[in-house]
Amino acid sequence: MGGSASLLPRDALGEYQELTFLSKQEILLAYKRFSELLPKEERENACSRRVPKSHILTLPELRANPFQHRICHVFSTSEAGDDSMSFEDFLDMLSVFSDSATSDIKSHYAFRIFDFDDDGTLDKKDLEQLVNCLTGQGEESRLSSTEMEQLIQNILEESDIDKDGTINLSEFQHVVSRSPDFASSFKIIL
Amino acid sequence: MSYHYNEAFENPDYHFSETLEIDRRRSSQTYPLSHQAPYDPSLPGSYEEHDRRAWNYPVAIPMDSMRPGPEYREVLPSRNPHGNFTDNISFEPEPELAGAPPSTFHLLDYPYAHGPSNGSEDSFIRRRNRRPPDETFVASSSMFETHPVCSEEEELIESIARMPTNERIKAIQKMPETMKKKREIRNKVLKEITKKSRHRGAQLSCCTHCLQGTAVSFRRFGNTLSESFRLLWIWHKTLKIIGAEFGTSVLSYFIFLKWLLNFNLFSFLINFSFITIPQFLAAEPNNLSFTGLELLTGAGYFQQTVLYYGFYTNATISKTENGSSYNMQLAYIFTVGVYFVICFLILLFSMAKSFSRNFIQPQAYSGNASKLLCTWDFNITNDKAVKLKQKNLSTQIKEDLAEVNREVLNFSVTQRISRVAIHLLSWFASLGTAVAACAGVYFLSINNLKLFVKGHKNDLESQAAMLVLPLVTSLLNTFTPFFYSWLGHMERFQSPGQWIYVTIARNIILKISIVGILSYYWLNIVAASESQCWETLVGQDIYRLVLVDFIFCLLGSFFGEFLRRIIGTTVCVSLGQPEFDIGRNVLDLIYAQTLTWLKPSEGCGPFRGLSSMYAAVSEWIQILEHYTVSKWVVWIYHNLITSALFFFILSGIVLIITYLYWQIIQGRKTMTKLLHKQIINEGKDKMFLLKKLRAQQRANRKASALRGQGQQVSLTVQRSSSPYQPSSQPAQQVPGYPGGALDRNQNTSYEEYPYSAEISSGTDFPLDWEPAQPSPGVSEAVALALRAREAAQWDDCDDRDFSALSRHSQYH
Repeated sequence: MGGSASLLPRDALGEYQELTFLSKQEILLAYKRFSELLPKEERENACSRRVPKSHILTLPELRANPFQHRICHVFSTSEAGDDSMSFEDFLDMLSVFSDSATSDIKSHYAFRIFDFDDDGTLDKKDLEQLVNCLTGQGEESRLSSTEMEQLIQNILEESDIDKDGTINLSEFQHVVSRSPDFASSFKIIL
Repeated sequence: MSYHYNEAFENPDYHFSETLEIDRRRSSQTYPLSHQAPYDPSLPGSYEEHDRRAWNYPVAIPMDSMRPGPEYREVLPSRNPHGNFTDNISFEPEPELAGAPPSTFHLLDYPYAHGPSNGSEDSFIRRRNRRPPDETFVASSSMFETHPVCSEEEELIESIARMPTNERIKAIQKMPETMKKKREIRNKVLKEITKKSRHRGAQLSCCTHCLQGTAVSFRRFGNTLSESFRLLWIWHKTLKIIGAEFGTSVLSYFIFLKWLLNFNLFSFLINFSFITIPQFLAAEPNNLSFTGLELLTGAGYFQQTVLYYGFYTNATISKTENGSSYNMQLAYIFTVGVYFVICFLILLFSMAKSFSRNFIQPQAYSGNASKLLCTWDFNITNDKAVKLKQKNLSTQIKEDLAEVNREVLNFSVTQRISRVAIHLLSWFASLGTAVAACAGVYFLSINNLKLFVKGHKNDLESQAAMLVLPLVTSLLNTFTPFFYSWLGHMERFQSPGQWIYVTIARNIILKISIVGILSYYWLNIVAASESQCWETLVGQDIYRLVLVDFIFCLLGSFFGEFLRRIIGTTVCVSLGQPEFDIGRNVLDLIYAQTLTWLKPSEGCGPFRGLSSMYAAVSEWIQILEHYTVSKWVVWIYHNLITSALFFFILSGIVLIITYLYWQIIQGRKTMTKLLHKQIINEGKDKMFLLKKLRAQQRANRKASALRGQGQQVSLTVQRSSSPYQPSSQPAQQVPGYPGGALDRNQNTSYEEYPYSAEISSGTDFPLDWEPAQPSPGVSEAVALALRAREAAQWDDCDDRDFSALSRHSQYH
């Protein structure tokens, strides 16, 4: 297992360093963790393999995250639509969630993660699902439908600038820019 | 079809409105290339960017610019219609589109996939997504899609290729694309660069190669340096675990602690190397005996060591005969001076940085609800912590909603009076406690001094007696905050936030007054007493204070946290785990840091024999005047440091700069307000337009049912666009939209525009495009409708009307 770290070719390492916000150590650590998710016989070619979503979700960093499914969906480039991730998808994800990523790119991807129906805006349904993720599914922490209605009304009132009933990317980024803690809480470090 | 394109080709007005779209898209691309977040408050700053980048594109309209008028006019003369439209006119044959590479496939599925910035949300994306499943009409839609894509990408690649290397790397890193797409772009950029350098030929090859070589090696060196610094990331794993278990706010305390540690390490290095080491070299032997108690009291043996200020020699140390000498006095002044200046600068910069990041304009921001969009802490990995946080969030939301519902709580008069009385009482109690604590400390310290002055008996008893003062101070500092929290519980505050602020204020008042009393005691009373070297006394006092504070901190964390956790989880489970009180701990840290910074200022020590510390410097300058070599130092001293004129000019300049920045801020505030209003107006315009279109559509459907199949062609063009997913970027949506922002209130003015005639004659929207579509589709549908209208016009050879339309927008 120790040998797998050295199997990442040097020029690929340099390329990844240029294309992502990750440092060399972080890329190597990501490679190590990624190959651990693969069965032993596939570890040789970890760069070209895809890890199924169920395995990705066993990572401790994602296991308890309420947005785990959305994260896998957004970063996966799988053509089969099964949300499996290749090593590059994995690096993409870590790069966006890294320390040095800009606030712009973080808010861009946060928007995509919160857009549950992938239509490019956060409409009422998206916001509802978002609030449910935030408050959990337990009986006592769920919001009643009136509370939900009102909360979504409040959110839209405050953030929907052009009053079209949805929050688009620009409005979302405007909201995020008013919250200075966003960049430090939108982080996943291996 | 090409016939129509050629005709349009010649007509500048046609380019005019079409180029609008492209320019909007192009301008949105300028954002990742500027290192300026599009939503930072410096919107007018984007206009500066505009001018600087004018050489990139003919026009770079900042994405947020919504004024239709002047920019549009600028577009026309500077564009080369032929140059750009050759790209757009030819369309690719179907197989290329059908056999799209995976990246294009990827782009199809996500509305966001392509595009270098958040500006990717604009019409360009929607054009890509309008790819019809029906490929026979690929030709018409490709005109909108693929070639604008290619030319945009080419422009992007060109602009990135023009940047210096590190900016180029940053620009590619910042693109919100998949790795594959970024790699493609990077390869194209590199190819472009090699092409350009080949074109440039061998001119300047030597110089540029050298420069580039040095730049490359420099960067590599910088990289390896930063890599090795990362190895010095002590406690990285521990901090990560803390963040994962407890969240970002607790983590921030430990990061602050680490920062303080680094800061103190730095100050230690400076002081040690410049002051203490020479002192060691010139030390006299120490005659006093060492007993264990000195560690606690700091007196005795330590008195003749480098620990205390009084010991430092005032001599000029010269180890070798006729060798260079080291003037202790100057060394002390300059080291401490430089240290304080560096401290000040570090604090200033970190404050400015955090201020610029964290400042929120309170009046622009009214509520809490939208904060929910960014509250989730992705650092937390512990299951239980996640559940706890979710519960907390849910409770908080419910409370907030209930509060709003409650409206104004109508307290009766008596209730209000009793609340005010309770508040006053607790403030009185807390201030009284603080005053009592200060008085106690004061009397104890007077007592302390008497002990010192009375006799320098170095026996155990008197030494131990000297510990009483620090003990009492630390006890007061530890237990009074609990009293304050209890007081806070008694009063019922309007909100938890208020409670926290009041408690913190009281704690700060207590601690500052105690430190203030101690300083007063040291600087005025001890200094005025006849004891020989009072700095040493004060130093000893501070040493004892810091030591006892440290011991209390250890005891506190042991008993307060560790034991309580054990008791809480095993013996008495109802107590629960202790929460980490961030506020109290941060205050403790700051208090300890303040103690270490207190420094006595005059007296014995290296400045024996001089009237003031500063006299050393003036003496030195006088000596320097005799040497011609260092005349410039003397000149600087006389004309800059001691001259009032210089400081006057300096402060004048600083004031002017401050005033300028203040005016800029005011201007930007106004701009933000205006733009906000404009966005709202544009939204309303769109709603209006959409309603009108829907009305027309309904009318048309009835008309066409009677008219027959003459419109089949236009029908299919529109229908093929229907499976398209709407995503909206309302502000950029409206290409040839004729200045509706200005005519908003005149609903009837829309009737005059020629396109309404076109709607009735040419277009028929597919039946499944229903107005029942909820609001998300609004802006998209509008763009869709407008483009469909354009297509219908071209199909019907009605360029005339279209140019009339464009002319209209020209005039707005």
